[in-house]
Amino acid sequence: MMNSTSTQFVPSRRMGIYEPIHQMSMWGDFKGNNCLDASTPMILEVDPKLDNQSEDTSHGTVGHSNKYDQEASKPPDKVLRRLAQNREAARKSRLRKKAYVQQLESSKLRLIQLEQELGRARQQGMYTGSALDASPLSYAGSMNPGIATFELEYGHWVEEQDRQLADLRNALQSTETGDVELRIFVDGGLRHYCDLFKMKATAAKTDVFYLMSGMWKTSGERFFFWIGGFRPSELLKVLLPHLEPLTEQQRLDLGNLAQSCQQAEDALSQGMDRLHQILGAAIAKQLGEGNYLPQVGAAIEKLDDLARFVGQADHLRQETLQQISRILTTRQAARGLLALGEYFQRLRALSSLWSSRPRESS
Amino acid sequence: MQEAIKIPASLRRMVAESAVVVVGRRGCCMSHVAKRLLQGLGANPAVFEVDDKCEDDVLVELRAAELPVVFVGGRWLGGLDRIMASHITGELTPLLKQAGALWL
Repeated sequence: MMNSTSTQFVPSRRMGIYEPIHQMSMWGDFKGNNCLDASTPMILEVDPKLDNQSEDTSHGTVGHSNKYDQEASKPPDKVLRRLAQNREAARKSRLRKKAYVQQLESSKLRLIQLEQELGRARQQGMYTGSALDASPLSYAGSMNPGIATFELEYGHWVEEQDRQLADLRNALQSTETGDVELRIFVDGGLRHYCDLFKMKATAAKTDVFYLMSGMWKTSGERFFFWIGGFRPSELLKVLLPHLEPLTEQQRLDLGNLAQSCQQAEDALSQGMDRLHQILGAAIAKQLGEGNYLPQVGAAIEKLDDLARFVGQADHLRQETLQQISRILTTRQAARGLLALGEYFQRLRALSSLWSSRPRESS
Repeated sequence: MQEAIKIPASLRRMVAESAVVVVGRRGCCMSHVAKRLLQGLGANPAVFEVDDKCEDDVLVELRAAELPVVFVGGRWLGGLDRIMASHITGELTPLLKQAGALWL
């Protein structure tokens, strides 16, 4: 596990002006079991009913004859055990939160002590620098190891993505490539996006603000950002012209998908607005008294919801990609993946080209 | 059964009587997302709010990992993941229509 003061990971240019929010990094590093990884109630895993439902839907029905019963195909004790694990993980999370707030309290006392000492030293003329004008809470410097790991993995992910796209481009340009080979590319490509979503889920546990701010992406990509990544409806708009020729049924299906995406995005955006309000109100409660712990502590409770939002948005992205690949033929899907990949490559290039453009000398 | 009934009768009633029910934690933004999605489709979901204290009990009773959960036509549909996924695949709207949740 990385020492938080290690500088082994050379910041890539993608990092930009990352300012770690250390309340959250302390949260992730905090002693305690990290078994959440195995049983976290987030995006891709969680809902045991998901597995049951996916079997159901192929027959066109969803839901059960009995309100509260499980699908018979999954052994009940396995499911119950999983549910119990999830509950246990949630309980442990609550305990960690408690311990974290306690640590905040003692840190605050220490801070007050330090400020008093500093004040005394200043009066005695020992300090002439203005460094102390900065907020005592600005922790410039040490990196969150979970985020450092993520950035490293993301760098590898982009390299792999570029490789896959180059191979795909060659395959599509060659007249000899058959559908079977293309299918392998398509499945591999979709899986690669899934890998990214999984990486993000892990990173969200250590610093959700980081995920929300998109700091691992280039500034060009951040311009198009929506809850931790790309907008699925935007994706469809980009792809559509490159998928022609389409059958009428495909056109209809893609149209419906575009509408469904939009509706799902709207619901998530409205939820985010709500969270914004609630979080803001929690932080703004009872200002002017000097004590901030109860309010900040209450706000931290709400940040779990923020991580869920990133998870839901990624889940939406994944479902959209999979639905697109269901609607299209293999060759169309391959072309679509290539177009999508190149679109993101261009966005990544946008920022570096912009920053390296020749400037007028003043 | 000697066990105390942990789910209030009001929830059972709501599920039985309403075309769509969203069961969520009080003040939870994810419940809000579920509600807004369903409302955006033209449904008018009944909402059952659960207190923090009762949440674990409700989850055990519903055999769910977390809230919110949604019932359609008296039947369990799933959590937010399931709602989103079924909307993307196009299954959600016919289900809602079948349950009489939509009027068009």
